[in-house]
Amino acid sequence: MNDEELKQLLSRREGAPAEEARQRAVAAAMAAFDEEHAHEKTASQTQGNADSERLTPDRTSQGSKIMNLFTASSSPLQRWVYSGLASAAVLVLGVFITTQVPWQGGMDTPPVNETALKGGDATRAARDSALEEAVASAAPRIELQVEESSRAFSGSRANVVTPESSAPRPKLNSRAAADAATSRAEEVIVTGMKRAPAPAMAAAASPLEGIVAPGYQDSGRDRFTTADANPVKRVADEPVSTFSIDVDTAAYSFVRRMLNQGVLPQKAAVRVEEMINYFPYDYPLPTGREAPFSTTVSVLDSPWKTGNKLVHIGIQGFELQGAQPRSNLVFLLDVSGSMNSPDKLPLVKQSMALLLSRLQAEDTVSIVVYAGAAGTVLEPTPVKEKQKILDALNRLQAGGSTAGAAGIQLAYQVAESQFVEDGVNRVVLATDGDFNVGIHNPEELKGFVERKRDAGVYLSVLGFGQGNYHDALMQQLAQNGNGVAAYIDTLGEAQKVLVHEATSALFPIANDVKIQVEFNPQTVSEYRLLGYETRQLAEEDFNNDAVDAGDIGAGHSVTAIYEITPAGSDSAVYEPSRYREQAAAGSGKGSEYGFLKLRYKLPGEQDSKLISRPIRIDADPADAAQLREARFASAVAGFGELLRGGKYTADWNYSDALQLAQANRGDDPYGYRAELVQLIRKAEVAQAM
Amino acid sequence: MSSELEDRIRRAQRGDREAFSRLVEDHYASMYRFALKYCGQRADAEDITQQACIKLARSLGQFRFQAAFTTWLYRLVVNCALDWQRARRPAEPIDSAEPVYEESPDSALLLRQVMARVQAMGEGYCETLVLVLGEGFSHAEAAAVLEVKESTVSWRLHEIRKRLQREHQPGVEV
Repeated sequence: MNDEELKQLLSRREGAPAEEARQRAVAAAMAAFDEEHAHEKTASQTQGNADSERLTPDRTSQGSKIMNLFTASSSPLQRWVYSGLASAAVLVLGVFITTQVPWQGGMDTPPVNETALKGGDATRAARDSALEEAVASAAPRIELQVEESSRAFSGSRANVVTPESSAPRPKLNSRAAADAATSRAEEVIVTGMKRAPAPAMAAAASPLEGIVAPGYQDSGRDRFTTADANPVKRVADEPVSTFSIDVDTAAYSFVRRMLNQGVLPQKAAVRVEEMINYFPYDYPLPTGREAPFSTTVSVLDSPWKTGNKLVHIGIQGFELQGAQPRSNLVFLLDVSGSMNSPDKLPLVKQSMALLLSRLQAEDTVSIVVYAGAAGTVLEPTPVKEKQKILDALNRLQAGGSTAGAAGIQLAYQVAESQFVEDGVNRVVLATDGDFNVGIHNPEELKGFVERKRDAGVYLSVLGFGQGNYHDALMQQLAQNGNGVAAYIDTLGEAQKVLVHEATSALFPIANDVKIQVEFNPQTVSEYRLLGYETRQLAEEDFNNDAVDAGDIGAGHSVTAIYEITPAGSDSAVYEPSRYREQAAAGSGKGSEYGFLKLRYKLPGEQDSKLISRPIRIDADPADAAQLREARFASAVAGFGELLRGGKYTADWNYSDALQLAQANRGDDPYGYRAELVQLIRKAEVAQAM
Repeated sequence: MSSELEDRIRRAQRGDREAFSRLVEDHYASMYRFALKYCGQRADAEDITQQACIKLARSLGQFRFQAAFTTWLYRLVVNCALDWQRARRPAEPIDSAEPVYEESPDSALLLRQVMARVQAMGEGYCETLVLVLGEGFSHAEAAAVLEVKESTVSWRLHEIRKRLQREHQPGVEV
């Protein structure tokens, strides 16, 4: 039936209204009319009736006016503007709701597209303007997020960033809704770029630029444990400082990622020692075989506080000589839905493929995945069947929830089934950080990892992605598993960790390395350890071999820096005590700042060995190269301190750090140091925003 | 709106019987016509129209001259028609009553069948169809009467066409 037929049907000459019916209707209407008006008359004639004075709702109310805006506005422009605004509001609300729904991963399409479509009549103009606003306010949003999260973590007001920006923000009532909207809209924009192929090589060459944002990503849920910066300590009160070494580098990669996004990282994410130890230093290699590593001590002036000195303690592990030990590696890969983004699972696959290149033909590799259920994807396979391993890797797809614990148990089982005596047995865990299901209790998980470590299977943790990065748990698992915690944000970082430094990550040369420094009250009045907040040990634990500490891999270099105030210097933060007895001078040790002791165990041994040496006042860097390395380490440490809020760096600032780092880059074969220089610049920019 | 009409409405609102009577007489025919197309039966149409007249008497005071009087009036009739629709027993057979159009009972039946089908599509479809195709309203005018968006009217008509088309497609000749 077409229009014409319908019209014809409807407009057929109808019978005229019957006259009597008409009259009946008119009469009924008149009766109703009379009734209405009779009531009116009597009402108005009643004496003392206050009805006419009373405010009645029988007026055009504001509400109905507003409702009419969309339909009855006189000008089409007005209608457009109002309905555009209304559509945008609906869009924002929808987006807000969708972002609040915790997604199970595996979303292929960004939810905002749907929402925008669901917005129905949302005009193109409204959408465009919403996107424009989103672009303009994207940067402040991230800042806000950072500020909020750092506030949440540090519990104090973060002065990392000022959320003010000249960029226009959408005029919406709910700030949270606006933020949510911009975050989704931002993803739309980025996904728009996704159409252009993002070459992996570009990603390797320039960190982050090639990485596109995923379809669904948590944000602001990265978890870090806050550790207060080590305080300045009086030598008279507490002359001994004890800590475990730490070879992790995760903090630096995470900081780099945030800075590359143009925002300052949360303070809790910055661990100064991990930033310092990210860089390889040119310390002299150990000469003899009696100790697995060499120690270098040098003293130089503090760049940020006149009068203070920095004591650098450098440890250099020996490089593997001869044959690489046999290894039995189990890749434990998180393939939950949240891993479904280009900087997660695909990067994991690439990283694992890179690591294969560093293994020998007879080493074995197995792949265990965990998501909804844990499963072995690849039975232990010798590396010479490389194609088989690569095929198994490439078949992996992300989906489902995260049951990390069951996966860990299975991975250890596989590792134990292939246990190599005198070799390396290691589970390499790659995850974006969440263990939703399974062993909920992190303590239980840690205990499990610890027991397995004692049985000879170690655990390394590779962190991927951001937004929901569970840094704290990663660190603890790696620490308890005698492994390295690294954060892999780009293919370049994967190459650094898994290719250039593969031996350090895989083959430990010394376990439970502890450092103890006793300062000489005669020559030092105050000291402060830069970083290592999470690695503090009790003084008495130094000699207790049952206490676990950090491990050094083959070729690792580790640096610890103390800032000290020599006795008599006016740069001290503590006032001299009036009553306390001053240390007796002239006891013959006036030429030493302190005494350094190191304890370590050789792999597989239970008893620790001790190295000790004095820190001499005139322990100047041995040569120009050592001076350069020490200065560069100071620059990194200072940069880290600045990112943490610069409590102890006085008016030293990013440009000072930049100068110092720039001047001491050395030959920098992999460009890591050049990258730091860029990061300092970015931090300067991010801070100004 | 002509000033004469406006004047008459204002007078009726103030209680002038004469003016109100003229107003009802003038508009009875168009109200009836709409009702007839809507319900398809003379008796029902008369009922609806009478209800509309009574309602007009009661609520004329609420007319604020913000829309055209005819628009307002149609809205009132549509509401009455809806009330009638809701009050009617749902299972009432279609072909039980006397023919509407004297000269062609077939087309009357056809109209009722079509309207029943349109009615089944959901609320708002019948009114839209009658206003636009029956009364020759533009989409915008119909939208004003029904207090919906113009695009909704267009969409409803499109839907009606599509569904009627589809239902007739398999070759069931009506």
